[in-house]
Amino acid sequence: MDFRARIRISLENQSLQTALDNNTERRLKGRAAAFESIPDWRERRQRARAIRADVIEHLDEYLAQFIAKNEENGVIVHRAKDAAEAIQIILAIADSNVSRRWNENNADDRSRRTPLLIAKSKSMVSEEIELNHALEKEGIRVVETDLGEYIVQLRHERPSHIITPAAHLRKEQVAELFQEKLGIPYTTDSPTLTATARKVLREIFLTADIGFSGVNFGVAETGTVCIITNEGNGRMVTTVPPVHIALMGMERIVPDLENLSLMLSLLPRSATGQKLTVYTQLLNKPLADQTRHLIILDNGRARLRGSPLKESLYCIRCGACLNACPVFRELSGHAYIGRDNSIAPYPGPIGSVISPGLLGENYVQLAQASSLCGACKDACPVDIDLPKLLTRVRAGQSTQPASGDGKGLSPSTRFGLQLYARLAIRPKLYAASQKFAALGTRLLSPRSQWIRLPAFTGWGYSKDFPRFAGKTFRESFIKRDARESKVSRLSIVTLTATSGDVAVQSNKVEQFAQELTALSGHVTLTKNPTQSIIEFLDARGINKIHLEPNTLDESLLRKADIEFTNTPDDQILVGVTNAICGLADTGSVLEADGALLASLLPEVHIAVLKSSAILSSLSDAIKFVKDKSAAVFISGPSRTADIEMTLTIGVHGPKEIHVFVVE
Amino acid sequence: MTTVQLFITCLADSFFPKTGEAVVDILHRLGITVDFAREQTCCGQPQFNAGLRKDARSIAEHTIKVFEKTTGDIVTPSGSCAHMFRHNYAELFEGDSVWHPRAKALAARTYEFTEYLVDKLGVTDVGARWDGMLTYHPSCHTLRGINVDKQPRALLANVKGATLVELPHTEECCGFGGIMSVEHPELSAEWLKRKISNLEMTQSPTLVVTDAGCLMHIAGGLNRQKKSQRVVHIAEVLNHQ
Repeated sequence: MDFRARIRISLENQSLQTALDNNTERRLKGRAAAFESIPDWRERRQRARAIRADVIEHLDEYLAQFIAKNEENGVIVHRAKDAAEAIQIILAIADSNVSRRWNENNADDRSRRTPLLIAKSKSMVSEEIELNHALEKEGIRVVETDLGEYIVQLRHERPSHIITPAAHLRKEQVAELFQEKLGIPYTTDSPTLTATARKVLREIFLTADIGFSGVNFGVAETGTVCIITNEGNGRMVTTVPPVHIALMGMERIVPDLENLSLMLSLLPRSATGQKLTVYTQLLNKPLADQTRHLIILDNGRARLRGSPLKESLYCIRCGACLNACPVFRELSGHAYIGRDNSIAPYPGPIGSVISPGLLGENYVQLAQASSLCGACKDACPVDIDLPKLLTRVRAGQSTQPASGDGKGLSPSTRFGLQLYARLAIRPKLYAASQKFAALGTRLLSPRSQWIRLPAFTGWGYSKDFPRFAGKTFRESFIKRDARESKVSRLSIVTLTATSGDVAVQSNKVEQFAQELTALSGHVTLTKNPTQSIIEFLDARGINKIHLEPNTLDESLLRKADIEFTNTPDDQILVGVTNAICGLADTGSVLEADGALLASLLPEVHIAVLKSSAILSSLSDAIKFVKDKSAAVFISGPSRTADIEMTLTIGVHGPKEIHVFVVE
Repeated sequence: MTTVQLFITCLADSFFPKTGEAVVDILHRLGITVDFAREQTCCGQPQFNAGLRKDARSIAEHTIKVFEKTTGDIVTPSGSCAHMFRHNYAELFEGDSVWHPRAKALAARTYEFTEYLVDKLGVTDVGARWDGMLTYHPSCHTLRGINVDKQPRALLANVKGATLVELPHTEECCGFGGIMSVEHPELSAEWLKRKISNLEMTQSPTLVVTDAGCLMHIAGGLNRQKKSQRVVHIAEVLNHQ
C-alpha cells in the first residue's frame, strides 16, 4: 500500500475522524488556556530554545558531566550506539536478574520459573528501538502501564500519538477491548474502565522484576533524571520493583535544575495544557535496595547533530506540533508509513523530520505531506522551524551527503516543476508560454472562467482550475508617474502587541488552595494537623494509616486508637506525609525519599504542609531536590485522559489528595 | 517622488492581473510611482517547497539579478512570495559568499503589500468603500511566515460601508500548500471543505485573502461546489470606491 492509499483509509474512517477532532479541539484549547497563566511565555520560549541550542552544541561535555554525576550517585550508566546495542544491554540486565532470582529460590529448573516480568511506563525511545518485540522474543513478559499504552498493547498496535497513545480510539472500542481481554461486562464508563486497568496493573507493579521508564530530561549538573507523568505508573515502575531501567535519547539533557524548571514551565502546558503534570519526578540516587540502570541511546542522533536537521534535536517531545498540525488531524499516527509500509515511530511534523533523520530514506516521503502552513512552528515550545526542516528533508538533506532532491515527489510533479523552472529563467519564452496557456485553457473551457480538470491531476480532485487571463499583468502594465498624493495619508497608527495582564496573587496560601482545588485536590487550614487528620480519619471510619515518621504527633494518634506504620501495605487506604514545600502557582507539594511510597500506594494521600513553606513557583523550590535521592512534585490526584480525552481521576496513584496547611 | 518595484508574482500575473492593477492604483493614489521589471517571472517557491533546490536556485538567481538592476522598495501582493524572498532565499544560499549577501539585500527591500502600506507608509485608511459583509482569511505565510496580520485587518477595518465578520478557525490553512494540493489532493480537499464550511458560517458573500494561491484554491473549490461566495484579493477591496 502506498502512502496516499493509507491516507485515504484514515480519511474514510469516521470513528477515527471523530476521535481526532475531539483530541485536536481539546488539546488546542487546553494549551492556549495554560499559556495564559505565563504572560512572559514568548520570552521563556526563546530562552528555552537558546538552552536547547546550547546543549546540542556542547552535547559531549554535558553528557560527560551527566554521566559522571550519575555514576557518583550510584547509577549504572550504559551507552548504546544503536537499537541493537540498547536491546543487548537490556537483555543482559534482565538475564542477570533472572539468575539472581533463581539463586534465591534455589530453582535451577528453567522450565519451572515464571517468565521475567517488566513493568513499563511510556517511552517513545523504546518504540523507536522496538523494544517490546525484542523482549517478547526472548520470553520476557512486558506490560505497558500507561493506560493509553496498555490499551494499544492489548490491541497489538503502536501508539498513534506521542502523548496520548490511544488518541485514535473511541471509548466504545476500549469498552469492547476490555470486555474481550479483561473479561469485564461491556461499559463505556471511563472511571470503570480506568479502575479495571488500575486493578490489573497494580498486581503488575507489585510483582514486576524490573521497572522500565523513559526520561524526559537529564540534568547535567546533578545527574537528576526527570520523568513527568499523570497516572502514577511512572512513579510505580521507578519505585516499587527492585531494578529500574531508564532509557533516554542522548539529546535529552538540560544544564541545571534552574533550566529544568524553565523547561517544565513549557512542556506540560504544551503537551496536555497542564501547568505541571500530576507527578514531576526527580531521581538522583537509587532508593535503598534498588538498582538503577541508565541507558543513553545514540541511534542516529550524533549523525543528526552534524546534519542540516540538527535543530530537530531541540525537541522536548511535547506533541504540540501534532495537535496543531492539520495533516496529523486527518491522519493520526498510524498513517505515517514508510516505503516498506512500516509505521514511523514518531508521527506528526516533528516525526516527518526525525523519522527520516534517525531511521533513513524509508520515511522521506512523509515530509511531502505538509502545506508548510507553519502551525507546528507556532506551537513549538522551543520554536523549532519545522517548515524549514521539512523542506530540507524534501531536498534530500536527511542523508549525508544529500542523496538527490525532490524526495517523495511524484514523477509528474517533478517533471512539471523542472520544466517550469526552465521557462522561469527565460522571460521571453515565459511570456510566450503564458499566451499559449491562455489560448489552451480558453479552448478547454470556452464559456467559463474555470476548468474542470479530472481527479487524477490532483488539483481536479476537489476544485476547479482558473483559466489563464487573456491579458496578463505584464501585458497590461503601463507605468504612471505619481505627481502628488490625492489621498492624504489619513491615519498613522502604531500597532502594538497586546499583552494580557495577569493579576499577581498576593496571598500564596490562597493561591495554592485555589490551584489545588481546581485540580480536584482538597486544602484544609489547621493549627493542629494531627487533630484535624484524626477527625478526617474518624469521619471515614479509618483506623490504620501509612505514616511517614516525624509527620504527626504520634502520642495523639495512639490516644485516638489510630494504628500507623511506615511499611508499605496494599490494604492501607490512607498515606500521610510531610511535604517539604508547596508551590502556589500550581498547587503542588514536594515529597521525597521516605515519603515516596506513602504518597503513592494508598488511595488517599494526606500531606502536611507548613504555610510558610509555600513558595511562588517551581523555580524557587527545585533547589530542595539536590540533596534528596528521589523527589516528586505532586499536583493533584493521579489522572488520565487516555480514553477519548475524558478526564478520569484516580489511576495508579492516589485518587484523593488532601493537604493540611499548618498556620 | 517615491518609486517602488512591483513583484507581481506568477499567479497574479497569469491568472489575476486585476490584483496587480489594484495595487498600482492604490499606490498611485498615495503618491507612489510603481515600476515593473519586465524580466521578472516567478520567485521559485514551488521548486523550493518541493525540495528541488537546484531549480529553485536558478530561478532565485534570475530574480535577484532582475531586481538588482532596479532601485527602491519591492512590493508584492503575496505574503507567500515575500516569505520566499525574506526567509527561503537566505536558506537556499546559506554558506554561499556570493549569493547569500545578494539574497539578503533583496530581502531587505521587500514588503508584502499591506505591510508596506501600514508599516512603511503608516497608512491604515486608503479611502476604500465596500458595501456589505467581508470576512478575512489570513494566508499561512502572511500570518505565520512573515507575521503580518494586524496590517490587513487594520486596513479592512477602515473600509467604509463594510461589515467585518471573523472567520471561524481563521488561522487554519485552506489546503493549498502549493504542490501539496496536487501531491496530496485528498488531504487538501479535507481542509478546503472545512474552510468553505467555516466561510458559510459567517454568511459573508465575500472572502478576502492576501495571496493568489489561497484565492485560486478556495475560489476553485467554491466553483466546484457551485457556491455563490467570491474570493477577492485585499488589494481589490482596498481599491474599491
